[in-house]
Amino acid sequence: MNRRTFLAAAAGTTSAGLAGCFGLLETRTAGQPPVLSDRPDAVYHPTHVEGMQMEEMGQSGDFAAAVMYSYPHRFWTVSGSAVTKHSIRSDDAAHVMVAVWDPETGVVVPDAGVSIAVTKDEEVVSEEVIYPMLSQPMGFHYGANFALDGTANYTVEVDIGGLSGVETTGSFDGRFTESTSIDLDLSYSEAEKQNISYENTPDRAGDRTAVDAMTMMDMPLGIAPSPDELPGATVGTASAGDAQFVVQAVEADRFGGGTHVAVSPRTPHNGMLIPRLGLEMTVVRDGESLFDGELGAVLDPELGYHYAGGLDALKSGDEIELRVTIPPQVARHEGYETAFLSFEPMTLPVA
Amino acid sequence: MTPSESRGIDRREFVKAAVAIGGMSALSACLGRFGDGAESIPTGTDDPTSLPDRQHAWNGALPSDDHGNHVLASHHVLLYADYAGDGTPTADERETVESALQSLERAFEWSNEGLLFTVGYSPRYFDRFDESLPDSVDLPEPAALTSFEDPDLDTNDVVVHLASDSGAALLEAEEALKGHSDTANGVEMDAHLGDVLDLPDEFPGRRTGFVGGGLPAENSDVSGIPDEADVPEESPLYMGFKSGFDKNQATEEDVTISEGPFAGATTQHVSRIRLRLDDWYVEQDQDERVAEMFCPAHADEGTVEGVGENLGDDSGAGDCAETVREDARSAGRVGHAQKTARARRDGRPIILRRDFDSTDKGEAGLHFLAVQEGISDFVATKTSMAGEDLTDTPTIRQRVNNGIQEYTFVKRRGNFLLPPRTHRALPTPRPE
Repeated sequence: MNRRTFLAAAAGTTSAGLAGCFGLLETRTAGQPPVLSDRPDAVYHPTHVEGMQMEEMGQSGDFAAAVMYSYPHRFWTVSGSAVTKHSIRSDDAAHVMVAVWDPETGVVVPDAGVSIAVTKDEEVVSEEVIYPMLSQPMGFHYGANFALDGTANYTVEVDIGGLSGVETTGSFDGRFTESTSIDLDLSYSEAEKQNISYENTPDRAGDRTAVDAMTMMDMPLGIAPSPDELPGATVGTASAGDAQFVVQAVEADRFGGGTHVAVSPRTPHNGMLIPRLGLEMTVVRDGESLFDGELGAVLDPELGYHYAGGLDALKSGDEIELRVTIPPQVARHEGYETAFLSFEPMTLPVA
Repeated sequence: MTPSESRGIDRREFVKAAVAIGGMSALSACLGRFGDGAESIPTGTDDPTSLPDRQHAWNGALPSDDHGNHVLASHHVLLYADYAGDGTPTADERETVESALQSLERAFEWSNEGLLFTVGYSPRYFDRFDESLPDSVDLPEPAALTSFEDPDLDTNDVVVHLASDSGAALLEAEEALKGHSDTANGVEMDAHLGDVLDLPDEFPGRRTGFVGGGLPAENSDVSGIPDEADVPEESPLYMGFKSGFDKNQATEEDVTISEGPFAGATTQHVSRIRLRLDDWYVEQDQDERVAEMFCPAHADEGTVEGVGENLGDDSGAGDCAETVREDARSAGRVGHAQKTARARRDGRPIILRRDFDSTDKGEAGLHFLAVQEGISDFVATKTSMAGEDLTDTPTIRQRVNNGIQEYTFVKRRGNFLLPPRTHRALPTPRPE
């Protein structure tokens, strides 16, 4: 399927507006400012904002994917509690990003295990596992910096391993487990790259706010549904580590009997979903524990990516405690690297 | 550096390059360049019964290091061939193949200094017969073994594996098998495989490689190894560590099929793996590499010095196997050897690795060759190694923080049966 037919087929999208991905801001190139010396332990506005160049979208098996690129940039990976800065290397030409989503619902699929093989005239230029990442304008995506072989038409083979460590429910049951591969074109030129918007933002850098999400894209973004869009009853929203945790009590056949307590973590400001964290929950009623254990990761067509545990029912007066045991194991673009790392336990009363 | 001082390194690099290129011209160059008697290859035996019946019985013919680990021959060629005839092989064709192989055994001592070889047959080879393989042979068609790989599957009928410390011996043997030369190591060939099999001249049918201290460092100017990487001079493999410790290998006895018409045989799995070591060498320090290659405890405790020579005959990763889930949570990563060590029988690994690095296609690669009693032993080991069961821990993803899977890309897989020497020439599925 080429990009045009994909766009025509994709639910809820139109075929206009790809140009919106670049040229957003005044075009100029400059060296990146250094990382701020006094960053808050929270989401903050980065020192600069880059646009990106959308290349091609495609679809295979249970997945749709898009490839795009921008200037190479620094990012931080998280392993356990350790944060590692990845600086730009001298031979890095571009930050290549891949978005992966369900072509039927537009739900972004985190944890799909993505690697890309970049070829030029069928010669291998690179092959790398690319990192699950969070950025303020894009939310969840996969990306890494790449050295390329100059101005050329490249083929990016997006290899998707399939969802791992995540349960699927409802119409997603049994989907996203088969691996697949999608070839996408990436036409790269140094000159074209220089047309991608770039703005230093000294006036906002370090402020406790975020760059707006690129919502004008035709590509779905990993924005968590707002509480009133989620099915079931909202118990409340807790906050820790500068992340927000919307707690929802859902009763539905697809979750079996009883109440499915769904916890949907998202970033402040932009509401981007936050995947791949360790989360425990305790539910106490009249001093007795009704639930005490780890919540599993679930991908559901209505709730999106969330964490869940089941119990008979929640009642008014119950108390829910949430504890993050492992910070989100997702790489961060600038502005997210100091947030979502250290979490106090959260308590929510059931009204 | 004077010519004589530089000669040791020049020579090893040159020989490796000649093996990679192959053919008579490479052989002539190999012989001509060092034609001053430096390359004296010991000849073999007229008495085939003096050789072990198991084709895979190489350990007795290999040297050992100071710790008792068997040291694999330095240079390797794999030839993926197809039976050239129609229908099923004839008695004459069997005679030709056996005669060619016995000629090689006369020409070269059965050792790392002479030549070690095996001949293997694929499931596709056996498909041409009315009879099927007996249940005692576990040889399925090759398949993808993890959810995140999509390898090409090798379906050639035959694979010949040649190994020697002497690149010239390898090339001579290959040329003689193909019928490009009537002699090998000065010994006349009674027959050639090329009369019965279509033998390849280039990748992917012809694959080459090397293993041993110095060779990876000297051959690191290939795609997949970053310029900044400092592959340790003493490392036998590109990733910078020793492997194949005696206690982390199955024994030849354990990988031998014990009953049925193929008693004395073993199965062979060969995968081609592309190595992408940018992040391995540039973004990780030695402790991180130790954690991902062995286990986090080895990194914490400083268990591994340099390439791991100090480990003796045991990587010690077996002791880490039980803590793999705890390590996933506490260290945020799990080690390759630690995961793999979960696949054991009676406390011992169930596959015998004989893998080697490669520069085929100008890429850093690994030909992961292993022998085991049945292919299901390989699959069990690979499944443990892949650690997909650990991805319910948020720190561990299919390929990130999960051993060395961020840096290794499986491109091909093939399964073969290595019959005992008595049945190595174009066997039927039920040889008598």
